[in-house]
Amino acid sequence: MTLELKDVSHVYAPGTPFEVEALRGVSLVVEPGEVLGIVGGTGSGKSTLVKHMNLLLTPTIGEVLVDGVDARSLKKSELRRRVGLVFQFPESALFAPTVEEDVAFAPRQLGLHEDEARERVRESLRVLGAEELATRAPFTLSGGEKRRVAIAGVLAMKPEVLILDEPTAGLDPATRQDLLALILGLREAGISVVLVSHDLDEVAEVADRVSALHEGRVRAAGTPAEVFYREPAQAPATVQVVSLLKGSRPEIGAPVRFKETLETLRALRGV
Amino acid sequence: MTSRSLGQFYPVASPVHALDPRAKIVATAVFVVGLFLIDSTVGLLFVAASLVALVAMSRIPATTFLRLLRPVLLIVALTVLIQVLFSRGGATLVEWGIFEVHSGGLRLGIFLALRILLLVSSAGLLTATTAPVALTDGIEDLLSPLKRVRFPAHEVAMMMTIALRFIPTLGEEAEKIKGAQAARGADFSEGGPLRRARSLVPVLVPLTVGAFRRADELAEAMESRGYRGGEGRTRFRELRFRKQDALALSITVLVLLVGILL
Repeated sequence: MTLELKDVSHVYAPGTPFEVEALRGVSLVVEPGEVLGIVGGTGSGKSTLVKHMNLLLTPTIGEVLVDGVDARSLKKSELRRRVGLVFQFPESALFAPTVEEDVAFAPRQLGLHEDEARERVRESLRVLGAEELATRAPFTLSGGEKRRVAIAGVLAMKPEVLILDEPTAGLDPATRQDLLALILGLREAGISVVLVSHDLDEVAEVADRVSALHEGRVRAAGTPAEVFYREPAQAPATVQVVSLLKGSRPEIGAPVRFKETLETLRALRGV
Repeated sequence: MTSRSLGQFYPVASPVHALDPRAKIVATAVFVVGLFLIDSTVGLLFVAASLVALVAMSRIPATTFLRLLRPVLLIVALTVLIQVLFSRGGATLVEWGIFEVHSGGLRLGIFLALRILLLVSSAGLLTATTAPVALTDGIEDLLSPLKRVRFPAHEVAMMMTIALRFIPTLGEEAEKIKGAQAARGADFSEGGPLRRARSLVPVLVPLTVGAFRRADELAEAMESRGYRGGEGRTRFRELRFRKQDALALSITVLVLLVGILL
């Protein structure tokens, strides 16, 4: 399916002193079977943006289109099934006594037959390399294992678009590599993936296209090569800084310059 | 964030806000006790007028303050109704089936309603004009004489501060988990009350687990920063009991005495 955001703006707590404009006229398209990377600094609106994709938040202005049809006209449960959203730190929402039960939550909410639900649980756990965890209690798992289980819980809905909000944040390298491989595997299976991240390396590694957000606006969009190299001056501050630190190319790792930091620390200690 | 409820701090600058929290806590306690010593409606009305003047001084908009009172209006209405319907004494005003309304009942109903409203208003004014942290500082200081009998005054105050501090955090956490479960097809608005209560299980379990984890982390972070209880701990905000605090307390006692004598 094609998921399109058209000129979407979002204002939190409108008409109060706490009013915040989190998104301003954001337009982007998730084409079928592509990996779209969304990058940007903290507070740039990334998480607010993805919550619009399954209408957990409704746009203050603008619209969300699914295959050209206004998403608001679809049934909510239908939309949430087709557009799977994995929150940031999704393991904080694990609740069932066993991993199986937790992953089965979404299929059961969809009203699937018990056999079908079990089959989906098995399949999603297998895709995430977490089959052997099925009978364990979620709270006894390691951080990486919890993350795998939580993602399986969304994948069990068999979404057409899978949105991953910072899926590799705070993960061990092995799980991180597995997740990036999963993203490419999903793309091959024709499932679109939206990867939200501030790790430019991993976005450069797996994304077909990238949108860079800054202060709630799309400030750069295109292939990773275009966004990361061609017009560095147009990129948001974080992209520029990271590029600078890493010798202007995301995949080339240069030692982080911490001379200034060291000097500040010395000054504080009066050395 | 936008809705204000009973007991919420209303941050504006006013002479009432500027008072020492200890003075306000003691004055409120004295006020509440005093209310029960007043036995005439006239006395209560006099005290009520003084409280209205105090609210005006606190620069809290009248509409906001009245909204603070809304949750107790039901209790007040019920009290009045019960007194009016079931209290006897005085002249009979209305007779309707088994119900008789007597002037005594009506008077008692109004008297009790006034007393409840004054109770709640005084407590509401205290929390509306005192920042939570100042309030717990004041409570700690007032409880500190009890340290001699090994009462952990500082620890109790610290627990209150932490509890208040984490109410919004837990609220945010609950919102986040609700969103994550909604993305997995949970629906919190459909079905009868039982079904809706059951649909909250996937929210309450992780919220509780998260709260315990957060508590552990906070305790470790506090220990890492050298926290080891109240012994020998100094304060960033020193409480100062000034002339206006003594004045405020004296006026409170005076108003109550007049109310009792009226």
